[in-house]
Amino acid sequence: MSTGLGQTRRSTSPLPPGAFAAALAALPGAGPAWLVGVLAPGGHPQSPERAWGELLAGRLAPPRPRRATTGAGSGPQGLRVSPLAPAGQTPPDAPSGWPGLSPDAPARTWRRCQAAEAQVSWFGASGYPAALAGGPSPPGVLFFVGELALLERPCVALVGTRRCTPEGREVAYRLAYDLAAAGVAVVSGLAAGIDGAAHAGALAAAQAGAAGSTVGVAASGVDVPYPAKHAALWRQVCRQGVVISESPPGQPAQSWRFPSRNRLIAGLSRIVVVVESHIQGGSWHTVEAALQRGVEVAGVPGPVLSPASAGTNLLLREGALLVRNADDVLEAMGLGASPAVQPSLLPPRPSSPCAGGSASPRAGGLGDEGTAVPARGTHEPPGPLGPLERTVYQALGRRPQTVDDLVERCGLPLGAVLIALEHLGEQGAATHHAGWWARAYRR
Amino acid sequence: MLATVSSATLLGVEGYPVAVEVHVTNGFPGFRVVGLPDASCREARDRVRAAIVSSGFSWPQRRVTVNLAPSGMRKGGPGLDLAIALGVLAADGQVQADCLGGTAFLGELGLDGTVRKIPGVLPLVDAAGEPAVVVPLACAREASLVRRSGVFGATSLRSLVEILWGRAHWPEVVLAPPHAEGGPTLDLADVLGQPLARRAIEVSAAGAHHLLLVGPAGAGKTMLASRLPGLLPDLSPAEGLEVAKIHSAAGLELPGDGLCLRPPFRCPHHGASAVALIGGGGVRLRPGEVSCAHNGVLFLDELAEFPGSVLDNLRQPLEEGRVVVCRASAAVAFPARFLLVAAMNACRCGADGAPGSCRCRESDRERYRARVSGPLLDRFDLRVRVRQPEVGALLAPRPEAGRTGAEEPTSKVAARVAEARRRARERGVRANSDLAPWRLDELAPIGAPARRLLERRLREGLLSARGLHRVRRVALTVADLAGDEGPLSEEHVLLALALRGQGVLADDDSGFGPCLGGSAPGSGGFSPGLGGARSGLGAFQVDPSPPAEARACAAGAP
Repeated sequence: MSTGLGQTRRSTSPLPPGAFAAALAALPGAGPAWLVGVLAPGGHPQSPERAWGELLAGRLAPPRPRRATTGAGSGPQGLRVSPLAPAGQTPPDAPSGWPGLSPDAPARTWRRCQAAEAQVSWFGASGYPAALAGGPSPPGVLFFVGELALLERPCVALVGTRRCTPEGREVAYRLAYDLAAAGVAVVSGLAAGIDGAAHAGALAAAQAGAAGSTVGVAASGVDVPYPAKHAALWRQVCRQGVVISESPPGQPAQSWRFPSRNRLIAGLSRIVVVVESHIQGGSWHTVEAALQRGVEVAGVPGPVLSPASAGTNLLLREGALLVRNADDVLEAMGLGASPAVQPSLLPPRPSSPCAGGSASPRAGGLGDEGTAVPARGTHEPPGPLGPLERTVYQALGRRPQTVDDLVERCGLPLGAVLIALEHLGEQGAATHHAGWWARAYRR
Repeated sequence: MLATVSSATLLGVEGYPVAVEVHVTNGFPGFRVVGLPDASCREARDRVRAAIVSSGFSWPQRRVTVNLAPSGMRKGGPGLDLAIALGVLAADGQVQADCLGGTAFLGELGLDGTVRKIPGVLPLVDAAGEPAVVVPLACAREASLVRRSGVFGATSLRSLVEILWGRAHWPEVVLAPPHAEGGPTLDLADVLGQPLARRAIEVSAAGAHHLLLVGPAGAGKTMLASRLPGLLPDLSPAEGLEVAKIHSAAGLELPGDGLCLRPPFRCPHHGASAVALIGGGGVRLRPGEVSCAHNGVLFLDELAEFPGSVLDNLRQPLEEGRVVVCRASAAVAFPARFLLVAAMNACRCGADGAPGSCRCRESDRERYRARVSGPLLDRFDLRVRVRQPEVGALLAPRPEAGRTGAEEPTSKVAARVAEARRRARERGVRANSDLAPWRLDELAPIGAPARRLLERRLREGLLSARGLHRVRRVALTVADLAGDEGPLSEEHVLLALALRGQGVLADDDSGFGPCLGGSAPGSGGFSPGLGGARSGLGAFQVDPSPPAEARACAAGAP
């Protein structure tokens, strides 16, 4: 058996086994079920090199492109390509630009992996995530950049809508920060909205010296940041955590890849926390996959009038675990929410994650000081306020409002409200985004 | 026999004198029109022949040639019919040629010999180089705007010839009143709530700042925009005449048949083509909507539904106050200095833009925003969000005018606007938006608190250098409206910033990604504290410093 992880060493002489695994994964139509069937026929792992040799020799049937199912019973539990996507929606077709079934395919594939700095793990290899191996429809081959050993930590998935509210983003950021500070690996999908905030929170904690980190599960190849504006976040996760993907490097983010990406998020995690979700959305795929795997599903409650919380509120009504903060998550994981693991680190404000790097590093992830958690949910503004500011602050709510609303609610002239808001903003008591004002979160 | 009759033709918004030369000679009977007539001008042959015969004259059974001089310029439209008919009659000897001298003739002929209305009488009469002008009687009132005497009205070819023979008198021409009432003005008091948008309308009128209203359907964007012309001061008679000439050339009815000194309000539908908006088309190059809105308001409702290529045509008029339409036949400059007011939804689903309220996909939102190009968006000094009014406010009984709670009426706001415009004129410009950047230091000095505020915004990258100039101009207008002298205060600048509406159309998911790469901070995310961390007031926000200090800060130690 091989070492498990293909090395990114550049060498002309014998290719590492990872090269053959990558070549198998890059074959047109190679879905997880077929790959698992090839790499571990009858449940007994064999080396990718051998599997490739048998395929070339014609002793193994190549994958059939544009077929949703392959040889039932060849892998554990008669696998399907993607248990979640409708059959017509899963065309793991010929990945563009890949060599296909030719003798030089492993070498060429390996060069592309090296260019993307991607490493390879496969079903049956020693570093292959145990959480996935035991679950339904494990991925046959995984590409990753970063530290795969992170997956051995307790993993928590933080997922949610891309079209989130600032409040949801803040919650995701804080949850991720506190969880990472407690030594947890925060798993998310690198998408816009909640996902991005979760990664950013965990990274900020890691930069501050926490033991936890973050795992980004991508639908596209590990070298194709999606959405493009998250390229910097993507690089950061690669550096400080790990980005993993089932798709060979260079694959674009196609819509059919996302549901199967979501099954990986659920499969890797011990608990899936939905921070904000609309009544329909990709988070539901993750939730379904989690339920299939017996992974606990939790939701963060939100305002009943907020469409961005409609999905999470529905989850909670249907019996999902209610999560208010990291303590609730840690308690559900059995990590205990003793005062010692209180998330005592004060995370930097999400507006200044750049400044997060310069934040004084805190020792140890499992908080070494559990005393300084300021009271949450107080209605007192953080500093002394003038009468105008006080009036406006009282009219401000958690739900974002426009200046028009505030003028009407306070009965003050427009200019006075603007001045008061500016002062409240300076003091950190109010936040705004695109003309919507809300009370700032208190730490 | 040869006869020459004076007339005029229209190109763009200007008239050009035309000499109609008619030659009747022996030869094979025929009727030719030369001198670059367009289709409707060439059809004059059939109209003129029928009109002459039905008016009881005889058609010369000889060879008739009509030349329209200068023959190098294209002539469009039926306005030369009357001159051609009289030329034929004079050349044939049925009318004395000398009674046509010193008079220009304008008008279209019907087959029965009636003289019909033509568009563009105002510039045509202005251009006619003769002491007397005969126009269709229906247009005489309009023509009297540029000529108080020497304008005569004609009703039919027969009666006109009778008058020329001396057998009848000219019908009486009713002179246009020097000032005509515009349509009924809409009152700002009808608009409920919307304090920011009301202020934006006022500032826009006072400083001629272009205005973008963003909001869901039915929130009152059109209602607000249509009340803007009522706030603008009256035009000067010269400006009014300019507008009347353009409207006449475009074939629009002049309100009250007189010189209207109210600024025009044009609201083209979003299906408008580039030519309809900018001008052009046909031989005579009709002025477009931007020119019809000259000295007034151009309101583009559903801005994002206009094709992008059409909208980008607006850049030249916005920049230069005129638009040049170049065609193979001619290049014409149309005046087009207007106040642009536009309205659009925040996104395709029509949500009110509240965070998390939108149902659109991210890509749809991107696409919707991209429909209005950045350079055009940048022209809007004022960008405000209009919100759906509260249900309670809609059904509540209206407070009586003048009582507390009643909204300010147009008359009060218009008085403030007039005062602000007066101040702008003292600075030597029409309105504050015309102020050159280098004059701002002298005319709009910034007070110390306002300077600190602007410095903060600049450092956070929320304001660019050009944005700063725009904010200063708007802040100056705000100060003018408030009647304040001296340097700009914090309140003026804050209002200007709020009216500028940073991020009203921006993506609300620009929070974390860009910052991690170490690029400029504060790129528009939901930024708690507006840089309070940098000012040192809330140190606990950035630096996870010892908890005791955090508590102290939270408890209010400044």
